[in-house]
Amino acid sequence: MPTWAPVADRAPPGAALHLSGVVAGYGQGTELHGTSLSVAAGERVGLLGRNGAGKTTLLRTVMGLMRSREGELRFAGHDLRRLPTFGIARLGLAYVPQGRDLFAEFTVEQNLLTGLLALGGGGRDLSIAYEAFPWLRARRHERAGSLSGGQQQQLAIARAIVSRPALMMLDEPLEGVQPSVVAEIAGALRALCDATGMALLLVEQNVEVVLELCERVAFMESGEVRESQSSAVVRANPAVLDRYLGL
Amino acid sequence: MAGAITVALDAANYTLILMLVALGLAIVFGLMNVINMAHGEFMMIGAYVVLVCHQAGLPVGWGMLLAPVAVALLGLVVEELLIRRVYARLLDTILATWGLSLILKQSIVLAFGPGSYSVPNPLPAGVSVLGAPYPAYRLFVMVVTLAALGLTFWAFFRTEWGLSARSVIANRSMAACLGIDTRRLDRLTFAFGAGLAGLAGAVMTPLVSLDPQMGLGFLVPAFLSILVGGLGSVAAPLAGATAVGVTDHLVATFFSPVWAQGVVFTVAILLIRVFPDGVLAPARRRV
Repeated sequence: MPTWAPVADRAPPGAALHLSGVVAGYGQGTELHGTSLSVAAGERVGLLGRNGAGKTTLLRTVMGLMRSREGELRFAGHDLRRLPTFGIARLGLAYVPQGRDLFAEFTVEQNLLTGLLALGGGGRDLSIAYEAFPWLRARRHERAGSLSGGQQQQLAIARAIVSRPALMMLDEPLEGVQPSVVAEIAGALRALCDATGMALLLVEQNVEVVLELCERVAFMESGEVRESQSSAVVRANPAVLDRYLGL
Repeated sequence: MAGAITVALDAANYTLILMLVALGLAIVFGLMNVINMAHGEFMMIGAYVVLVCHQAGLPVGWGMLLAPVAVALLGLVVEELLIRRVYARLLDTILATWGLSLILKQSIVLAFGPGSYSVPNPLPAGVSVLGAPYPAYRLFVMVVTLAALGLTFWAFFRTEWGLSARSVIANRSMAACLGIDTRRLDRLTFAFGAGLAGLAGAVMTPLVSLDPQMGLGFLVPAFLSILVGGLGSVAAPLAGATAVGVTDHLVATFFSPVWAQGVVFTVAILLIRVFPDGVLAPARRRV
């Protein structure tokens, strides 16, 4: 397993993500109504909620792909509202969006190299990715678009870790992935976090995986984080799942 | 036989310059979604930089080295003052750059007058190519344009700038999420595209007469090249330029330049009808 540590000069070991009272939305609409959430250094947090609760919007707002109108957004002491998206990425925040957004026409290796661009130039060392997902090395010259869904997801995660981020945000990484590969991806994510101290903010419909992987779960509803519980408490009291996820 | 070789070399000459112009146009469009109507004027200004150097008593070769740099710098200024304000508004980019082309043309008229100029040929000698006598300067033009095309491909496929540029073309917001400074990349790429046009204008100066309207004569076939070749890969506009350039030159040589215009447009329309995404569309995966 990889033994790298997050890049210290970009994100100090105490790097934490803090959102408080964030209001954001597309155009005139508002999808985040004063959302507050914290992810401590090295912490793994799952974000659960029904469709349209604002989970994806929250991740996109952190990355600066959507701009917040009100509230506070900080990572490692930096005010994210003042930074462009690439600057946010360079602080050590990695984002694996829903649908993965790989460069389908690039080779596996070229996709991984784009991950290194967050380091601000230089470097072709992809060993981190190849240690986490050894099969990538043999297929490095293949087109990313030719991989299966599960393989593409692993490549997207690999692309996100080559820059040694302090926090990785994933949006539905298990969507459309075969059941047999789900465990593989979840295992790789856990191993990565354990080995490196990387924090995780995971949006995922597969509650079982979220509870297993994350220490804490935050529940979103109508653009707000309503409740946050440790995974152990949620397991002991599954009624909370029905409240935020039941139909 | 000698006649055929001369015609082929002349066609190659024209096509290579057209490739340089079309490539700059295509890269800027691919990366920034900006249709640059002032691209022909960048070329024209490259030619006038050579003229200014010549009038100042400098060797013509110096002007040719200076022109792409000067036009690239002009591109930087234009990007900062104009282009970045109209990103993501395709129609506005056409209007804004068309306005820019009028301003640039008129500035040249004010500075140099509407008349035409010529610059002496720095390599007046002739050489023999497979038995056909051919002007050495035209061979030089081919070498320079091939080198510039090669350099562009190397930069695009072998450097970090190229990887960043191709990422932004493929998916702008994901590229930003990976830490690519898209703003800086836009600026540099626009300057690079302008520099290519400036180089094309500069190397042509000894072969043509310089006047403020000279840009249009290349802008139109360059757009046609992109329409015919498509934007599927960096090679596509080059294929388009080959189709447009060779057709134009052969018809102009054997019939008349007027017929050439008509034939080029007809062939272009037919090709676009049959291959709406460009003749190289099936090869799009190679980008």
